[in-house]
Amino acid sequence: MRLDSLLRYAGFILAFAVLAIPFLGLPGLADIVFRTCTLAIIAISWNMMAGAGLISLGHSGFWGIGAYTAALCANHLGIAFLPSLFCGLISGALIGVGLALVTGRLRGIYFAIATLAMSEGFRIIAIMLPDLTGGAQGEYLKSTLFPGTQFVYIVASCGAVCAAAVSWLVSRSRYHYAFRAMRANEQAAQMVGINPMRYRLTIMALSGALASFAGAINVWNGGYLDPNVAFNLHTTLMAQIAPILGGIYTIAGPILGALAAMGLGEGTRLWLGQIEGVSLLIFGVTLVACVLYLPKGIYGGLERYYASRMRPVYGNRADLKDPKP
Amino acid sequence: MNLLLQFLVDSILLGGLYTLMAIGFSLSFGVTRIINFAHGEFIMLGAYGAFWLFKIWGVDPLIAMPAIIVLGFATGWLVFNSLIKRVLAAPNINQILLTFGIGLVIQHIAVILWSGNSRSTTPEYALQALTLGEVFIPYGRLIGCAVAVALVALLIAWLKITEGGRAVRAVAQDEDAATLMGINVKAIYALSFAISSALGVATGVVVSFIITVTPFMGFPMLVKAVAIVIVGGLGSIFGMALGAFILAFTETAFAYYVPEGSGWSEGVAFVLIMVILIIRPHGLRGQAEA
Amino acid sequence: MSELLALSNIHAGYGDSTVLQDLSITVNTGELVCLIGANGAGKSTTTRVLTGLLKPWQGEVRFEGSSIDNIEAHDRVNLGISLAPEGRRVFPSLSVNENLLLGSYAPRARSMRNSTLSEMYDLFPKLSLRRNQQAGSMSGGEQQMLAIARALMARPKLLVLDEPSLGLAPKIIIDVYQAIVQTAKQGVSILFVEQNVHAALSIAHRGYVLANGHITLAGSAAELRESKTVQESFLAPRRKRPEEALLGNKQITQAHNEVLK
Repeated sequence: MRLDSLLRYAGFILAFAVLAIPFLGLPGLADIVFRTCTLAIIAISWNMMAGAGLISLGHSGFWGIGAYTAALCANHLGIAFLPSLFCGLISGALIGVGLALVTGRLRGIYFAIATLAMSEGFRIIAIMLPDLTGGAQGEYLKSTLFPGTQFVYIVASCGAVCAAAVSWLVSRSRYHYAFRAMRANEQAAQMVGINPMRYRLTIMALSGALASFAGAINVWNGGYLDPNVAFNLHTTLMAQIAPILGGIYTIAGPILGALAAMGLGEGTRLWLGQIEGVSLLIFGVTLVACVLYLPKGIYGGLERYYASRMRPVYGNRADLKDPKP
Repeated sequence: MNLLLQFLVDSILLGGLYTLMAIGFSLSFGVTRIINFAHGEFIMLGAYGAFWLFKIWGVDPLIAMPAIIVLGFATGWLVFNSLIKRVLAAPNINQILLTFGIGLVIQHIAVILWSGNSRSTTPEYALQALTLGEVFIPYGRLIGCAVAVALVALLIAWLKITEGGRAVRAVAQDEDAATLMGINVKAIYALSFAISSALGVATGVVVSFIITVTPFMGFPMLVKAVAIVIVGGLGSIFGMALGAFILAFTETAFAYYVPEGSGWSEGVAFVLIMVILIIRPHGLRGQAEA
Repeated sequence: MSELLALSNIHAGYGDSTVLQDLSITVNTGELVCLIGANGAGKSTTTRVLTGLLKPWQGEVRFEGSSIDNIEAHDRVNLGISLAPEGRRVFPSLSVNENLLLGSYAPRARSMRNSTLSEMYDLFPKLSLRRNQQAGSMSGGEQQMLAIARALMARPKLLVLDEPSLGLAPKIIIDVYQAIVQTAKQGVSILFVEQNVHAALSIAHRGYVLANGHITLAGSAAELRESKTVQESFLAPRRKRPEEALLGNKQITQAHNEVLK
C-alpha cells in the first residue's frame, strides 16, 4: 500500500477513535486525548504559517488571546461555552490579520522576532491590566457556565478533526501553490503575480483562528487563567516541536508529531517522575536532534522507508543511467 | 531636580551594562547572520559560574571573570563546531529552532542541577553605595558598568587593530570577498561565536551581583539584546551602543515616571522591537541589508 | 612560457540550471588573456569556478600543472590566484588602507605586506590620497582601482579580473586599463573577463568568446578582432527578441519552477 493511502486510512481511524474516546468513560485516557487534540490543533496552525514561509515564535500569543477572550466573554458577558469558543476563534483571526498588516513584508528572522515581541507584549499587557484580565493573580472561569468535562472533550476532538480537514483543504486549494512559492522566495513569487499580502492575510487569519480556538477550549478545561499560563513560551515550543517531530510542511506531520510529543511527555513523566525541568529538557534535546538528524520528521522517515522498499522492477541494472547530468 | 539626576545616573549605568549584553549578541548575529537564541543562557551560565565560585570558594566575581570568560569561549567554540555549523546552509527555520532548542536544553539542565531558586553573589562592594550629594550610586552597579565598558572597549580595539578582528569585520560585510582574501569564513564564524559566548558569560558575571540569578534570567536579557540590535542596526557598533542607551533610558523612565512603571518597563523592549521593525527594519544606523 | 592555469571540460551551474558546458580555457605565464561574452553568458560563473567559490559538476581546474579541485577557495589565494570580483566588492565600511591590508591576509603575502603596500600606493596614487577614507564612499572608478590593488596585495601569480570596466565612464576605463597593463608588465599573468570587447581586445594577447556557457571562438586578439562573428555579435548593434530578455532573468525562472513543482 502506498504511504499516502496508508496515512489516509490511519487518519480516518484516528479521527474515529478521537471522537469516540470521550464517550468511553475513561477519564485518564480522555484527558490525554484532550491534550493531544489541543496540541494537534496548534501544531497544525503553526505548520500552516511555516508552510507559507512565516516562522512564528509567538504562537502562544494566539493561544492566550483565545483563552482570555473565551474566559472574559464567559465571565463578564455571560456567554455560554460554544459561543465563547467562537469568540475566541474570531479574536484569533483578527489578531492574525493585525499581525499580517503590522508586519507587512517582513520575512524570515525579522518576522519571527516580531511574533515573539507580539506574544510577550500580550503577556505584559495582561499582567498590567488587572481590571480587565485579573492581572497576575489570574482569573477563574465561572462554574455556572461549565458544560461538563465530557462535552468539552468532545468539542476538542471535533476541533482537532476539523483542523486536520482544514489543513487538508488548504493543501488541495490553489492557495497551496502560492504558499509554496512564497516559502521559497517571496520576491520571486511576487514577480509571477502572487500578491504576498493577500496570502499572508489569509494564512495568518486562518492560523490564528485555529490556535486561538485551541487556547479557548483549553481554558474551559482548566478553569483558570493567568498571563504566565496563557502566554507561556512552553506553548510556542510545543507548537513548533510537534510539526518538526512529525514532519514539517506536511498534513500528517503535525498530527504525528502531536502524538509523538504527547507520548514523549507522558513517557518522561512516568519514567522519570516529576523532577522539575526534565520533560522540557527532553523536549529541547528532541528539538535539537530533529533539526540536526531528522529534519523531515517522522513523516520523512516513513517516506524513506517506503522508498527503500520500492525497488526497481528489474533490479540494479548497469545500463540504467543516472539521470543527473 | 534630584530625581532627574538620579534618573540620569541610573540610566547611564544601566546603559553601560546593556551595551555589553548586546555587543556579545550582535557579534555573532552580525557575522554569522544566525540569531543565537541561546545567548541568554550563556549569560545565565556566567552568572551561575560566578555564583558557585563565590559560594564555595569565596572567589570575588571580578577575579573569577577571566577564568569564566575562557570557559565561555571554549563552550561557545564547542557548541558552534558540533551543532551550529551543521545548519549554516539550512533554511532559517532550522537555525532558529536549533538555537532555541540549545537554549532550552541549557536552561533546563540548570533547573535540574541548581533548582529554580533565586541566587545572588554578594561581594563586599555590592552592598555598598556612593552618595554624591543627593544621588545614590550603588557600587555594584558602578563597578558593573565600568567593567562592562572596559570589555566593550577591549573588543572594539581587538576588532580595529588585530588581523583577526579585521577578518571578522570583513566577513561581516562580504563573505565571498573575504574568502577571496584567503579568510576561512567558517573558522571566523566559529571565532565570532566563541567570542560572543565569552562576552555573554562575562555579562552574566557582571550582573550576578546586580540582579537575581535564576535559570530563567536569560530569556528577558536575550529579548533586550535583540531589541538593542534591531534599534541600533547591524554592522554599527555606535548604533548598537546608541540602542543600548535608548533602551536603558526608556526603561528607567518608565520605572521612574509612570505609575507601576517597573512592570511596564519589561515591555519596553518588545514595543521598541515592533516599532522599529515596522518603521525601519534596518535600525537607526544599520546597513541596508534587512 | 608555460601553462599557468587550465580549466578543462568544466560543467557547472546553480541548482538545476547549467551555466557552463564543456568549458576549456588556458592561461600561460606572462599572458594577458580575455574572456569576452554578453550578459548571462557565464563569465562570472567561470571566475567563481576557478577561485573555488563554486564547485563544478565535472571537469578539472589545474594551476601550475597540478589539480586544485580539492583546494578550498580561501586556500587558493595562497597558491597565487587572486580575484578582483564582479562589482568590485570592496569592504564598504573599512578604509582603503584596511581593504589593502586584508588583501595581504594570506600568509605568503603577509610577510611582504609593507613593501607591497607602498608599491600599490605608487601604482595607484589616487588611492594613496584616500588611504583613510571609507571604501564605500568612493566613486566606481576608485573602487575598481582599490579592488585591483587589493587583489595585487596577495602577490598573485595569476590576477583574475571580473568585468573591470563595468559601470565606469570611458575616461576612467582608460585609467583602469592602464593600471592593468602596468601590472602585466611587472610579470603578473592576467585573465580578465569583459563585456566591453573593444577595451578587452585592445590590451589582450589572446581571447576566448563565451556564449551560452560554451567557448565559441578562441584565438589571438588580432584574430578575434578580424572575426566576423565577433564583429557582428559585439561590435555592431543587434536587435534582441523581447522573450530573450525575460528568459535570462533567473528569479523569474526560479519562481516559475517553484510554482510548477
